Order: sequence, then C-alpha cells, then structure tokens
Amino acid sequence: MAESYAIDGCKLTRSFGGFFALKGVDLAVPRGEIRGLIGPNGAGKSTLIDVLSGRAAHWSGTVKMFDADISAMTAQQRRRVGLARSFQRTNIFPDLTVIDQLELASRAAEAPSIDEIMAELNLTALAFRRAADISYGDQRRLDLALALIGRPKILLLDEPAAGLSIKESLDLAHCLKDLAVRWGVTVLLVEHDMEVVFSICDRITVLHLGTILAEGTPDEIRGIPEVVTAYLGSSV
Amino acid sequence: MTNIVTTAPTVTRSPPPRHALALAAAIGAIAIGALIAATIQSNLMMTLLTQAIITSILATGVGFLIRQNGVVSFGHAAFYGIACYAIALAMKLGAMRVEFAIMLALVLPTALAFLLGLVIVRIPGVAFSMLTLAVGQAFYEFAMKARQVTGGEDGFSVNLPSTIFGIPTAVFQDPHSMFVVSWSVLVLIVFGLALTAASPFGRLTVAIRENEERARYIGYETTLPRVLVLTLSAFVTAVAGVLFTLYNTFVSPDVLHWSLSGSALIMAIIGGPRLIWGPALGAIIFFFAKDIAGDFTEHWQGIIGVILIVVMLVLPVGLGGALAKLWQRRPGHG
Repeated sequence: MAESYAIDGCKLTRSFGGFFALKGVDLAVPRGEIRGLIGPNGAGKSTLIDVLSGRAAHWSGTVKMFDADISAMTAQQRRRVGLARSFQRTNIFPDLTVIDQLELASRAAEAPSIDEIMAELNLTALAFRRAADISYGDQRRLDLALALIGRPKILLLDEPAAGLSIKESLDLAHCLKDLAVRWGVTVLLVEHDMEVVFSICDRITVLHLGTILAEGTPDEIRGIPEVVTAYLGSSV
Repeated sequence: MTNIVTTAPTVTRSPPPRHALALAAAIGAIAIGALIAATIQSNLMMTLLTQAIITSILATGVGFLIRQNGVVSFGHAAFYGIACYAIALAMKLGAMRVEFAIMLALVLPTALAFLLGLVIVRIPGVAFSMLTLAVGQAFYEFAMKARQVTGGEDGFSVNLPSTIFGIPTAVFQDPHSMFVVSWSVLVLIVFGLALTAASPFGRLTVAIRENEERARYIGYETTLPRVLVLTLSAFVTAVAGVLFTLYNTFVSPDVLHWSLSGSALIMAIIGGPRLIWGPALGAIIFFFAKDIAGDFTEHWQGIIGVILIVVMLVLPVGLGGALAKLWQRRPGHG
C-alpha cells in the first residue's frame, strides 16, 4: 500500500506569461516531517506555497492532503481541513490586540483555548497590546501563532524568520520544531536562513528555476556539489 | 526557547464591553437630551438642533461603514432618500397605514444595501466609492424624471395621519419633542453600534478591514461580514430618513443627491470615523459652523472646507478622536 503523505503536490505548474515559476513539480511530504524548501530568489518557493495553500490562481496539477484531493478547495476550506500557512511579510491585524486576533483565529479553527498557544509563543504578557505597537519579533511570533491556532495538520511557512536577529531566528526555529514534534504537525518551511533550515528540518528540497534540483536529508544536501556551488556556498 | 508548557497561564479578559455601564450611560444621555429640550426655549435653536441630530444619524451610518469596512460611500443618500420617498409615496397613494409605510421605509433601503453589497463590497477603494455614487445618482435622476409620481424637482408634501403608533403626529413636528425623539434614537443607535463593534462580529469586520487576505487564511469567509456592515449602515441611514420625513413632511430629490452623502462624509471625517459617536459630533459641529458662517457669508461651504482641511491635517483622527485621546491622558487614568 502506498504511503499516505500529509501533503502531496503532483505535476504542479504555474506560469506568468511565458515564464514558468513552477514546471511540473512533484513534492510529497510524509506525516510529521519538517521539510525545508530552499533555493535562490525566483526559484518558485513562494509560488509553490501559494499553490499548495490555495492562494494562487491559474495553476495546473493536483494537491492532495492525506490522500484527499483538495485542489478545488478555497483557502478558507483548506484552513478548515487543517492546512495553515504564514506569509513572507508579517501578516497580522495591526489595529487589533493580540488577544482579539488570536480569539478570532481560535473561533474559526474551533480551538478550545488560546492560552496554550500564547504561552508557547511567549505572547501572554502582550495579550492586551495592539499588534501595531509590539516589536517586530513579537509580530512574527504572533503571525506564527495565528497559523498554529487549532493545531493544524499541515503548516506552510514562508520565511517565518525574515527580518529577525540570529538569536531570534534560532529561538523561533527551535520553538517551531518543538511544537511540530509535540503536536504532530507536518511543516513545509521556506527559509533563506540556512542555519535555521539545517538545524530543524528532517529533509530538504532544493528548488531551482521552477524545478526540483535535489532532495534529501540535511547531510545529503550538504554533500551535493551542484547545490553547494549554486546556492549554499559556505553558509552550512 | 524550547518550551515545555504543562499548564498554560490563563489570560483573563477584563470585561471589555461593560454592558451595564454603557446602558447606564445611554439612559443618562437620553435624560440629558430631555433636559436640553426643556432648557432651550428658542424654537429656532431647537429646529437647528433637531435637524443636526437627524443628520447625525445619517453621518453615524456613513461613519460606521468607514470604521468597520474601511470604505467610503458617496451613495448613502440613496438609502436615506428611499426611506423618505417610501413614506411619502405610500401616504400620497394611500397604499397603506403610516406604521407599515415606516416599516417599509426601513426594510427597502436595508434590503437594497444587502443585495447591492453582495456585488460591490468586493470592489476596493475608489471603485467602491464611484459605484455607490453611480447607484445613488441613478435614484436621484429617477426621482427627478418621474414627475408624475415624485413631483420631480418640486417634490411634494407628505400628508400624515393624526397619530403614528398611537403617538400624536404633532410630537414629531414640534422641534422640542422631535429633538427628544431624535436624540433618543441617536443614543440608542450609538449604543447598539458600540455593542456590535465590540462583539466578535465587530472584531472580525475590523480584522477584514485591516487584512482581508489573512482573515481568509485563518478560516473566515470575508464577503458576507462586509455586506452585513453595509446593510447595518444603510439601516441606520434609513432611520434618519424616516425621522426627516416625519419632521419635515416634505420630500424632494435633494434627499437623494450625492451632495448629501458628501456632507455626511465630511461630518464623519470632522468628528472622527474611528469612533462610533465621532460622526454624530461632526454633524453637530457641521450644522453650527454652517449656521454661524451663514450669518456672515453666503459662501459658508468655503468655511466648512477650511475646517475640513484643518481637521485632516492637524487632527487626522477627527475632533472626536482628539477628545478621546485627551480623555485617556487625563490625570489618574492608567
């Protein structure tokens, strides 16, 4: 019997005019895995996240979640069946307090409580602050909390550590790893910070010009000369 | 930062909408209105105040749409005017009792806003404003052209029966008593809208206003809440139209003209649309500025324009917003 993948994208293609951002990409992530998705700018990483999460229009291929075809589902429908995502830019509700927006997310996800996620992401002390008034690092954690409310089955993260200091990035990464393991969340992580990717991911997929260049464990990826030459350099 | 949390601390909300306190404030405000009516003897002043309060309700409807949906309507006069004409035409044609006509005057614009909203709330910014302008002006043009029914530009008087809901009609036409009625309605509307804004629905619509895409990605359908805000806003506007008709007993296409929507928008901006009561304050300021400036020059619009520019440059949160900030900074306030 074939293995059931948490998320399984098959022959995913998306083009903008004559330019192919994705060229028939096959990406399958097993349940509970933290998968890194790396590649240079323009490789198609964010486009792939957009296609999987239901944000993109005019694409072809199929997206399955635990063997169920979700290709025709809207973003809201995918969220309701347990597919959550975060965005490259901080994507919160600036004028609402931290607690107000987490309560909204919790109501939509039918989560019993927001106390747990607030404690996990160190947001409890900021509960009654307007999101616009908290620090950038706190906003990134709030962004992650909005995606994690209700313990989604799959989490697609588009550069969650962008703009954070090295320490903040690593703290966030390890917190994410810890939550993913304890809650059994499958994670697909797009991130430019190689230290973050190589420290928490079980496997890594390298995307280049809309196609998959390589896939393997962090050690295997480090050992592929083309990847090191084309993308990693001396960063890992 | 590997947290192993066994028992998450509970975040306790201080009761945010203190309903009992707000209700007491509303009752107090209604009592103040009655006191104002009892104190001021001048009919002229009370007429001005009553008109200001009725227009305040219109501005409150326009401001609520800005506050919750973040969009500007140039077509709210349509909802106001349809309410006016619904009563006026029902009375002219003898089609129904005035009580039913009033209910129809509230239902028609509200239903129109709902149906219209299903189409236009997805349209962003300026395009939304232009569409509301077009729809509003279509009704204005219809009222101008359908002379046989509407009396065209001349309008027509509304013949009301001697009692409405068992209340003598004179109550709605005397400036003192009508001020109390209109003021009470305004207070109840502000109270109701404040409760709505503080509810989960109100917070959701603010979230959609702030970041519609994210609201979708946390699992919300975003069109219907925006439609419901437009519908509620139109209902409030229709209430103003009903009061206007009962008080003035005359309608003309002016009640449908875009300039009325524009004035309501100016009132909302002067008062501060981020506050539920801000547009009402703006309407009162607008009326008094217009009256005072009108004593000196026929170009009172120029003075209103200067006030608008000053408010937008110096107090982008409006006069109400500035007052609210001062209140929050008062000594002894946390």
